[in-house]
Amino acid sequence: MIEITALSHKTLFIDHLTIGEGRTFLIGENGGGKTTLLRLLSGIEEPESGSVRIDGLLPRLIDTGWVNEYPDKSLLFSNVFDEIASPLRFQKVPCLVVLNRVNEIVEQLAIRHLLDRPVRELSGGERVLVAVAAALINRPELVLLDEYDSHLDNACCRQIDGAIAVAGSRYVIRSTQQMDTAATGDTVIVLHKGQVVASGSPHDVFCGLKGTPFYPRSWRESACS
Amino acid sequence: MQLILNKVTAHRGSFKLFADNTFSRGLHLVCGAVGSGKSTLALIMAGLLAPDTGVVSCPSVSTSMLSLQFPEYHITGLTLADECRSWGVDTGKILAEEGFVARTTASPLRLSRGELKRLHLACLLANEYDMLLLDEPFSALDCQQKEILCNRIAARNHGITVIFTHEREILPRFERYWEIRNGRLGYLGADPDVLCSTITGGWTTGNRCACHE
Repeated sequence: MIEITALSHKTLFIDHLTIGEGRTFLIGENGGGKTTLLRLLSGIEEPESGSVRIDGLLPRLIDTGWVNEYPDKSLLFSNVFDEIASPLRFQKVPCLVVLNRVNEIVEQLAIRHLLDRPVRELSGGERVLVAVAAALINRPELVLLDEYDSHLDNACCRQIDGAIAVAGSRYVIRSTQQMDTAATGDTVIVLHKGQVVASGSPHDVFCGLKGTPFYPRSWRESACS
Repeated sequence: MQLILNKVTAHRGSFKLFADNTFSRGLHLVCGAVGSGKSTLALIMAGLLAPDTGVVSCPSVSTSMLSLQFPEYHITGLTLADECRSWGVDTGKILAEEGFVARTTASPLRLSRGELKRLHLACLLANEYDMLLLDEPFSALDCQQKEILCNRIAARNHGITVIFTHEREILPRFERYWEIRNGRLGYLGADPDVLCSTITGGWTTGNRCACHE
């Protein structure tokens, strides 16, 4: 269980929020606080006041995979293999294990053809795929994905969903502007001007958003009761 | 007014792109898989990247602009007001319309990605260009802002507009649809309603294909 209590950080104010295991989607207007919340959950930022605990621990003590929407900001190495292998190499995992794991993840994401490419030659979408591979290679307990889908087509998104499922992470939390995708999650959290205005199952949350641009398009034919 | 790609090629390692097409007035949509060369094509069309072979010509196009996929690359001002001024637009109007009046002196880099994209597009669309190239204009925007952008693009009734995108849910009513497949830019049709029901490559059936249903 993830528990956030009396949080005040930048523009984000959350009295109390719990997030269970499974796939959680953060949605809401631009500037609502989605990225800030993801950064707090990752441990990249620490709250100015209040607490964030994941299974009772500080976020920085949890194995976490992080994907920025603009992976240029988080890619460290100049070639794709080195970038994907880096989380395991930093943990001094034996070379053969690293090689096998890189081979597995590039197969899952269908990006073997990128392995020898310099990162600077990749397209925006390809960089996202490489960042996802690096985030999942360690099979982290917590995966945080910040609107990566805005640079990818449906086929790539499905490939990533498959790889995330195989990684077996207990918590997968992602922000998105694709409401039909968010509707497939276990939990949806709506952030508005730094506050959580709704949290619950997709049915409960989206029925409260009927008539807004955030109501999933695929639901528009069948009214919420 | 036209943009003519005359046997244009671009190569980078195993990546290859070929285009031998003409873009005329109106709204064009260019799609393609990740890594197919959409951004490369946008750079070539904007004259910011020289093709390896072939010629790009734009008869009667006197002003053009490319909106890059990542809005950070456009920032030149230290404050939101400076950033607006750098575009030569009505700073007060843009900041008021986009809800940034209280943050006039803030750095553009302090905005969220979606907010920065919004500011960038508002400045860009406040000017008129004969040719406007938009690389992933909808990325990072929330659903509401996507619809607003859709309507702004649809309201543009001047020159050539080309959108390069993966966006699946919200798009303006485009006039011509292009796709990059196997390294080649191809024209697939002109009727958006027909296209919306036939486009493959990851498009979900039932998605709305235009702002104005």
